[in-house]
Amino acid sequence: MSYYFTIFSPTDTPLFTHEFGTSRSGGDGVPHFTTAERSMAPFVLHSALDMVEEVQWGPSTSSGSAPMYLKHIDKYANNFVSCWVTGANVRFLLLTRPRDEALGLGGSGNNRGSLAGGRTGMTGGGGLYNPSAPATEEAVKNFFVEVYEAWVKTVMNPFFHAGNGDVVKSPVFKARVAAAAKKYL
Amino acid sequence: MSSSTPSGSGLRYPSNKKTIYDRNLNRSKNAELSRAAFAYLFIEMISYAQRSAKDVGDLEQRLNNQGYPLGIRLLDLLLTRSANPLSSIRPTRILPLLQFIAQTLYRHLFGRPADALERSGTDAAQYMIFDNEPLVNSYISLPRELSSLNCAAFVAGVIEGVCDGAGFPTEGVSAHSVGDQDEAAASGGAAAPAEGGKKAAGPLWPGKTVFLIKFKKEVLEREEILARGGG
Repeated sequence: MSYYFTIFSPTDTPLFTHEFGTSRSGGDGVPHFTTAERSMAPFVLHSALDMVEEVQWGPSTSSGSAPMYLKHIDKYANNFVSCWVTGANVRFLLLTRPRDEALGLGGSGNNRGSLAGGRTGMTGGGGLYNPSAPATEEAVKNFFVEVYEAWVKTVMNPFFHAGNGDVVKSPVFKARVAAAAKKYL
Repeated sequence: MSSSTPSGSGLRYPSNKKTIYDRNLNRSKNAELSRAAFAYLFIEMISYAQRSAKDVGDLEQRLNNQGYPLGIRLLDLLLTRSANPLSSIRPTRILPLLQFIAQTLYRHLFGRPADALERSGTDAAQYMIFDNEPLVNSYISLPRELSSLNCAAFVAGVIEGVCDGAGFPTEGVSAHSVGDQDEAAASGGAAAPAEGGKKAAGPLWPGKTVFLIKFKKEVLEREEILARGGG
């Protein structure tokens, strides 16, 4: 499993990007994107922003509040995109590229998946990656919750204006995101 | 983490090795600031704005701009505090947003909810939040040449920041002092019976301020589409 995580400002400027692999079940935390996939990732995420705008206001029956966690919102080729919208309309997008076996492309046994994908082998059929499996959603959500906490601390900085496209440069923030990734994905 | 500073990154840590990321967001949840300290600081902010302001409108706009970034930040901070972070929700309709402002935001800033929340009878895009006694104005007396100034423009800026941040762009939020007669006109016939008594004893709330929030057209359009179920 490889992940590509980006934070978008309300005006669609990428403010922070982090790329990592799964650390679950023997994963080494290193992403395994091919060169083509890596260069496609920013485009996939940007196109997913349209989907975010469609779903972020919630269904018409909602009581006027919607959860920040929008779950799995978009799929392009072998990439699955999950989203979290903060109160101030900053979007966290996580692109997931499951291993080939988990997509049914390989064929070897599937018992080394990450928490975010491996457990679907028991609930879903045939060990295929399922972005809306409860275990996957929960793992991604926990990751987002941790990032969100670090993000709120970042925006509390009076000199940081997310709306102006200020890029997050803090190595501490990066370390926090990496720690959350290691813990949950 | 704090000791592993990459050399040459230029990042400086505080002497106690605690970055903002090591601090708890809820640390200051119930902390209160002394009113005197706030008044002192606020006076400085006003005189800073006044130094380069051309007229009253410009001065109010400058105060508004000072409050705006505060609103954007408070929005996220209060949303994380108001609920269990695992069920984080954000307002997606106008009414919950305004209730958030009148209740949660006001309680955080001033320790009490706003006094009233109304929708304008003439303009559907306009909402009004009433504050009988704005805390920011409590130590401010206006000279005659600035009698139309209302320093609660700062609070209006905070409100504008919250609305804008949440994805409800406004044409602007402004603070207005309301006298007795304006108040009766603004709230319609409902205030009429109470008004008789007030006239005799002078205005009950001399500093009463109304925050006029005028949402942009697209916000109302979206609201309508969502209500219809087209979304």
